Amino acid sequence: MYADPVSGPAATAGEDREDDVRSFLVYLDSVQVDFDGFLALDISSFGVREDELRVIIGPNGAGKTTLCDVISGKTLPSSGRVFFDGNDITTMPDDEIARLGVGRKFQTPTVFDSLTVFENMELSLPGKKGIWRSLLSRQSAESRDHIMSLLERVRLVTQAEKQARHLSHGQRQWLEISMLILANPRLLLIDEPAAGLTDEETALTAELFLELSTSHSMIVIEHDMSFVRRLNAPVTVLNEGKVMAEGMIDSVQKDPAVVEAYLGR
Amino acid sequence: MLTVPKWGTVAVAIWAVVTFECMLFADDETTLRQDMLRLTASERADRLSAIESLQRVRDDRVLPFLEAYQRGEIYLWNSQLIFCAAMNRNSEATLMVPLSDPLTRDPIERDGQVVVVAKRELDAVGPRRPERRLITNAIRVLELWSSDRERRLGAVRRLGDTRNRIFMEPLEQLLDAETDEKVRHTARESVYLLQLAGTIEGLPQGDRIEAVKQLGEMASARAVPVLKDILAPLEEVTDSKTISEESMREALRQSLAQIESYQQRVRVVGYLFSGLSLGSILILMALGLSVIFGQMGVINMAHGELMMVGAYATYQVQKYFGHSLPDNPENLFYVWALPVAFFSAAGIGWLMELLVVRHLYGRPLETLLATWGIGLILMQAVRLYYGDNIGVNSPEWLMGGMELFQDFRLPYNRLFIIVLTLVCLSLLYALMRYTRTGLWIRATVQNREIASSLGVNTRRTDGLTFALGSGLAGIAGYALTLIGGVTPDMGQNYIVDSFLVVVTGGVGELAGAVIAGLSLGVINKFLEPFFGELIGNGAIWGKVAILIVVIFFIQWRPAGLFPPRGRTADL
Amino acid sequence: MNNQDRTPRNRFHFPVGFRALIVITALGVVPGLYWAGYMTIETVNMFGRYLAFAMVALSLDLIWGYTGMLCLCQSFFFSLGGYAMGMYLAHHGGPEGIVDANGWKLPACLYVVYPYGIGESPGDAMTPWFWKPFYRLEITILLGLLLPGLMAFVVGFFVFRSRVRGVFFAVLTQALTFAAWLIFCMNDMKLCGTNGMNRFDQIAGFRLVEDRTRMALYLITVLALIAVYTLCHFVVHSRLGRVLIAIRDNETRLRFAGYQPYVFKVFVFSLSAMIAGLAGMLYTPQMGIFTPTNMEVKESILIVIWVAVGGRGTLMGPVVGALAINLLYNVLTSQREFLWLLEGGIPVSVYENLIWKPDYWPFVLGALFVGVVLFLPGGLWSVPERLIFIIRRLVSLILRTERV
Repeated sequence: MYADPVSGPAATAGEDREDDVRSFLVYLDSVQVDFDGFLALDISSFGVREDELRVIIGPNGAGKTTLCDVISGKTLPSSGRVFFDGNDITTMPDDEIARLGVGRKFQTPTVFDSLTVFENMELSLPGKKGIWRSLLSRQSAESRDHIMSLLERVRLVTQAEKQARHLSHGQRQWLEISMLILANPRLLLIDEPAAGLTDEETALTAELFLELSTSHSMIVIEHDMSFVRRLNAPVTVLNEGKVMAEGMIDSVQKDPAVVEAYLGR
Repeated sequence: MLTVPKWGTVAVAIWAVVTFECMLFADDETTLRQDMLRLTASERADRLSAIESLQRVRDDRVLPFLEAYQRGEIYLWNSQLIFCAAMNRNSEATLMVPLSDPLTRDPIERDGQVVVVAKRELDAVGPRRPERRLITNAIRVLELWSSDRERRLGAVRRLGDTRNRIFMEPLEQLLDAETDEKVRHTARESVYLLQLAGTIEGLPQGDRIEAVKQLGEMASARAVPVLKDILAPLEEVTDSKTISEESMREALRQSLAQIESYQQRVRVVGYLFSGLSLGSILILMALGLSVIFGQMGVINMAHGELMMVGAYATYQVQKYFGHSLPDNPENLFYVWALPVAFFSAAGIGWLMELLVVRHLYGRPLETLLATWGIGLILMQAVRLYYGDNIGVNSPEWLMGGMELFQDFRLPYNRLFIIVLTLVCLSLLYALMRYTRTGLWIRATVQNREIASSLGVNTRRTDGLTFALGSGLAGIAGYALTLIGGVTPDMGQNYIVDSFLVVVTGGVGELAGAVIAGLSLGVINKFLEPFFGELIGNGAIWGKVAILIVVIFFIQWRPAGLFPPRGRTADL
Repeated sequence: MNNQDRTPRNRFHFPVGFRALIVITALGVVPGLYWAGYMTIETVNMFGRYLAFAMVALSLDLIWGYTGMLCLCQSFFFSLGGYAMGMYLAHHGGPEGIVDANGWKLPACLYVVYPYGIGESPGDAMTPWFWKPFYRLEITILLGLLLPGLMAFVVGFFVFRSRVRGVFFAVLTQALTFAAWLIFCMNDMKLCGTNGMNRFDQIAGFRLVEDRTRMALYLITVLALIAVYTLCHFVVHSRLGRVLIAIRDNETRLRFAGYQPYVFKVFVFSLSAMIAGLAGMLYTPQMGIFTPTNMEVKESILIVIWVAVGGRGTLMGPVVGALAINLLYNVLTSQREFLWLLEGGIPVSVYENLIWKPDYWPFVLGALFVGVVLFLPGGLWSVPERLIFIIRRLVSLILRTERV
């Protein structure tokens, strides 16, 4: 089930890379991000396959969020290329990448404060997002039911008419996650979903993710090791912008280099 | 062995020299006064020779005398010439007037009393109509020998423009004696110009061609219309050209091209300098704005009015010096006005921050509105108190300019603004870089929360920054009094430009404002003449073009030259 | 649960009644008072102008209140419409002037300040080509809507595509207004320079001095405002309206949801420019003159203050704000002796200083800017809601004490 993408000398031979690009849903080819001389990200090869759930861990400043930024088009890499579904998306605008099927949840929950929970969800419905459709289309009962059932699942249904600014931190987290689920992208980039959640909420989140992962590709960044364990998925360890180790959580945790990176210095 | 000086001999020698000098002087003085008196002689020949000899006298007192004579301020009284400016033709005959010496202008005294006589005792004398012109010419020639350099320079230039060949001789005489390089240069130019004057057939064509060539070498701007006048008829005649006509035409064309290319270079340097000057004004205006914007992400819409406050503070200082300290050298007010302008604007800015801006953090657009409201109040308050239009006089030491090279002058007031901008920039840089306050400010810009948790009093820092930015606006207003009118709404005229500088520069670095200010200034000054020639109203179209340039620039750099970077940059 | 037909969120339902009240006043009470002889036609005319201002305020609210972009070139769009109508009215205006070489009657206001070239005599004045489309009313109306819309489209396209926003957008639009004002003030542009459009006489064959024409213009303005209000209501309550609010809240987040915010911004910017142009077209015949002073930057900011005072992010707020401030302006820019009771009781020199002078108006305006921003961010429109909130609080407090 899990193939190590780093093991092959991906960056060396052109054909291999072609293969890599094809076999992965998202693929980063020797990507570097340089913030005024500080190398925030330096990845020779990283890929996630269709319907794969990948967890990324690493100490602060390891480049986890930058990795998400590069994939979602928020940050332009200084060098290297990014592929999604075989297309080169390196210089593609962020909204276009989103329409290709990359969804994102930010580290701090970001929702539209002045809109109600329901309206927040409504904006995330998949479909054409042009002017005229927004102006003239009426929402169908079907999509309303879809939204309401999802809200029920994350226990926000009673809050549906409340402005998002009045939600608690955990509710905002869930609202953002449900917006992402509703958008039904092919790849989900999820930055610290469990931060600030209660244990119970964390469990539900993990459950949701596992369900999703059967039909979606996911990259989850997380610090909370119990949450990572719950996901039971392959883990990539980032440190100082580089991929340090890959594997299942137990083997990774035994890796002396990883221990050093987390505890050392 | 030591010889004892023969004191007697020395004394005699000194006496002899002194006496001789005195006699000579006395002699000259007598002749001069006789010549002056002869101006009123009844014989025309006498009068003409008097004019002739007066214009050869090298005495600075003659020029004012002749001018007074021309104006009719010289009278005959007891068969001696006297000067009296206290009356005119329409005065009462019984008007009592004081008399003074026509040369020295000392009052004429008798028995220790100033002589005062009735108007009717004086005989008006003055040049007769045909001689007026001669006197005017004599005055012109005498001006050449004035001890005042500027006056000499002006005379030399005017004589060259008379197109009257009789002035060639005095100009050549001056050339033999003159030592000042600039005057010599202008005199030579004038001589050549006079050589080209008129269309006298008998003149040797060779000299004229030489004059044309020399003028070309000198890159004389004054020669352009003269040369063009000569060239125009020559261009029309295509056939039946003599060899000399041909070479004349050639020389004319070549010289004109030479002059044109020099003038072109001068123009480019001129645009560069005006651009630099405008740029430094823009920087000075934008500096305070950008300090505040960088620190708090707030655009201070009252910035223009704070500049106005600085300008009015300067006016107030001038008024104070003018009213209560009349003996003080007038110019000093401008030195004192600088700190006053800075601190009055800074004080108002500090109050603004304390009372309003502080309560609006994180709401930049609201702050923009509130500061606009404050600007409105300031403007109207000043209008009601001072009235609509007042004048700040530039101090004398900033008037005039420095001629860097031929046809290119650097006005002192512009130079002053450039220097002032440089000083402000370096002080600001030093403040940011080397002082504790600067460290606080930089820390707060980087990350407000962390700075605050490390013990930086961010509130106080914000207040300081706002006061600092406002003070800089005050200095800008102070500088603007040198180049423009002082009105309550003066800020409105400049504010849009300084906004554009901030937008173009970005808020990351001071360098942004500097580069943006300079580039916008220089681009503006090059665009102005371009549009001026193309469609007229260069200044306005230049401004419009600058705006379009900025909009396109922002396509390329949406957050300016030096955008804020890192995690805090977005979201 | 019906999502489509909800009143603006976070607002008390009192507004529905208030809206009806305003419509009844505008369509019923004002004409009624006029016909009954209690109100002069000048006052009706004045209300008409203020309603045109309310329309501009509404247009700014779309772009600022809902979408969060402070636009300082609304006065420019207003003036484009105003100038378009002004050119039409000038065509059918005063008799002065000449018929030019092409047989076109040169508008009187242009004839007076015509910028002759070197060597031209008054007989050589020509009607410029860009005046000619404004001879017919229907083309004028079309252009009065299209020109501002197109201008906003072009500017918006360049500015929004490069993701200029916030303070930068405000500053750029301010510079744009300033540049446009400079251009319109130039006499060489053959737009009558600082004199502006004047010497109007008739509109669509009706004389402007007649009372019935003025009344009709007033009624047309009211109806146009109702139409525009309805349009805005439709826009902000569609999903597009939610997208606009989302742009205001967090534009970056919206992009990651797959929307292209700049497309929406260009759309709403152009729409608001067209509404402003319409307002300008309604204002000009009721004012009788249109000069470049209407285009100054400070006019733009004045529009902003109408919206801010009324309450941005609501549709009724801007209308209320524009009317309230203009009425206040009307009251305060005439000399008034508010404290006449004190006359005689205090020294004349003191009393003289207590007389209200028109010069003091900018102080009021400035204080309004600061005061509203500091103390009433929701604007006047939020006052009833706040009051009701406070009353409820009090009531519940009292009830609780009783229970105890």
